[in-house]
Amino acid sequence: MSKSARTRARNQQRHKNLQNRGRSSRARNRKNALIKREVPWGGIVFFTVIGVVSAVAIAFAFLQTRGPSAAEAAISGVVEKEGLSREHTTGAVEYDTAPPMGGAHDPVWQNCDGRVYDRPLRDENAVHSLEHGAVWVTYRPGLAGDQLDRLKDKVDGTDYTMLSPYPGQDAPIALTAWGRQLMLQDASDARIDAFLRAYVKGPQTPEPGAACDGAKDTP
Amino acid sequence: MRRAAVALAALVLLAAAVLTVLAAKRSGEPGTDSPEAGFARDMSAHHAQAVRMSFIVRERTRDEPVRLLAYDIITAQQAQIGMMTAWLDDWGLPKTDPGGRMRWMSGHHGGAHAPGSGADGAVMPGMATRTRLRELERASGRDAEIRYLRLMIAHHRGGVDMARAVLARTDRPEVRRLARTMVDGQQSEIALMNRMLAERGASA
Repeated sequence: MSKSARTRARNQQRHKNLQNRGRSSRARNRKNALIKREVPWGGIVFFTVIGVVSAVAIAFAFLQTRGPSAAEAAISGVVEKEGLSREHTTGAVEYDTAPPMGGAHDPVWQNCDGRVYDRPLRDENAVHSLEHGAVWVTYRPGLAGDQLDRLKDKVDGTDYTMLSPYPGQDAPIALTAWGRQLMLQDASDARIDAFLRAYVKGPQTPEPGAACDGAKDTP
Repeated sequence: MRRAAVALAALVLLAAAVLTVLAAKRSGEPGTDSPEAGFARDMSAHHAQAVRMSFIVRERTRDEPVRLLAYDIITAQQAQIGMMTAWLDDWGLPKTDPGGRMRWMSGHHGGAHAPGSGADGAVMPGMATRTRLRELERASGRDAEIRYLRLMIAHHRGGVDMARAVLARTDRPEVRRLARTMVDGQQSEIALMNRMLAERGASA
């Protein structure tokens, strides 16, 4: 046997010994695991993570389906009235608020396509505009010029609104939609924009999709 | 057993991922200042005037081609107003923006914010002034047809610009689909109305 052959044989033997030792130690471990019934932490962590992730995802998806309606946040001071008649009549109607918040009305609506009127409107026509989703902005005659200008700008820039004086109303300014009303002292009140966002063609509209033009064009 | 557990785990993770993506998509719905919402509101008002003008001309002429075109515009645009209103309902957004019209279309200066704008109701691209509408209401026969065609060509051109503007600003499929049909439909009607004007011996 040459020196190199002897070395090779020795190496092979050493390798075999190592393999045997490995096998026997693995067998020992397996036996230990069976006896000791180790807690499978790996599996527990794995499935817990999956469970938490899916629960969070489901909860998030659920919350997303029921977000709050931006337009419907409560506006302080808004008066509500339900059960208003929608009857059509060409006769005079007696309303119990000034301006009226809805009820029986004339078949002809007042044009409300961002329209500024400088004379009082006939209630029966204006109420029909409310039915179509308009907001009617009214002011007590004698309102200061800069206040009135603010209202005019607002109405001129907003579809489904109209502006007119309303002698005898309780506050300097009133905003009226079908079944909703807000009395205000000041034209710079932030509730004006809030009211318009909430009620122009809002969910209170009895006849959504109806027009704000093509009918009565003058007071 | 082990393979089944891995498959189950993969399935649960996949479901979670899908739900997360869906939720993220939902939370990506347009806000009140988005181009989609602005387009839905402003195009509704723009369409409403086309409907109004078309009704006027149907009352002012007996000419069948013009009356049929007007009928086409009334029914199509009124239905589209309903579609755009439904978007705003779905997105839980107000139907109006008291901050003013056309703010979503940057570069265009809407008349709404300028006090006493003097726009006479023509507050968006291509819209007719109230004075022009009153003139149309008083015209009749050929005169009314020509006035109507000219007003509606300008109106459609403005509408096409607005639809193109939203196409450049949105990825939402329902908005893109409707805006595309507006661009295509109104362009073909512009060509038709130009021919109708020529047949009546008038220029655009």
